[in-house]
Amino acid sequence: MSPLTLYQLVALLLLALGLFGICQRRSLVGMLICVELMLNGAGLSIMAAAQLTPANAVLGQLATLFAMGLAAAEATLVLAIIIVVARRFGTTKTSAVTTLKG
Amino acid sequence: MELMAKIAFGVYTLIILCGGILAVAAKSLVRAMVGLIATLLGVAGMYMLLNSPFMAFMQILIYVGAVCVLIFFAVMLTRADAGGEEAESAPLRQNTLALLAVTVVGGVLSWLVLTHPVAGTGVPVEVSIEKLGLGLLGPYGLAFELISVVLLVAMAGAVLLAWERRNGK
Repeated sequence: MSPLTLYQLVALLLLALGLFGICQRRSLVGMLICVELMLNGAGLSIMAAAQLTPANAVLGQLATLFAMGLAAAEATLVLAIIIVVARRFGTTKTSAVTTLKG
Repeated sequence: MELMAKIAFGVYTLIILCGGILAVAAKSLVRAMVGLIATLLGVAGMYMLLNSPFMAFMQILIYVGAVCVLIFFAVMLTRADAGGEEAESAPLRQNTLALLAVTVVGGVLSWLVLTHPVAGTGVPVEVSIEKLGLGLLGPYGLAFELISVVLLVAMAGAVLLAWERRNGK
């Protein structure tokens, strides 16, 4: 197996762990942690593809950097949303936040 | 890969695997966050292996330094302690569906990766920080400006959302 395939498999492992977690966690903070796992997998995949192929390496590294920035922005917004939900419902359990349910 | 690189790759993969399992399966959210930090450090090690120490530094600075502190704030501000939300295990149906989702997505993607291998160069290219800076100021300047706008909007939006009105309510 080539090194690129190995790196892609590790990135896939991160994606799978995050996906399982986001389906299985029952609190918003736990889901946020799993989203960060998935974004890291994406970053690792982009990075491996940029560094180990003849593709433009500068573009790949900057794309990973932008993914990190987007992850930071997303974490900020999710933190604010979690605080609003916790203030309104008194909990961050996803099963409790069901006002729209008929 | 050289022997040392192989050993390092194995060690980092192990760190990522253990940290990821802890992040996904821990009952306490603080422990889950420790697992997340271990995973992030493992990925930073992978970046070092990919011959880009600057990105490894950025990974530690942004993820471990900023995002994890934010998540810790979320844990503290919502008082999601060990006896809280994740204490009881998930219902069997939820676990089964999560496993199904992972099997489908992971199966398709790993099949793609394994059956369509890209013949990459074995040695990671080296990119100097000067080249990255020139890229940010030159051809990718618009993306750079856009990401700063996104960060500003996210920050302003977070303040607006979490703003507590003093009077009325």
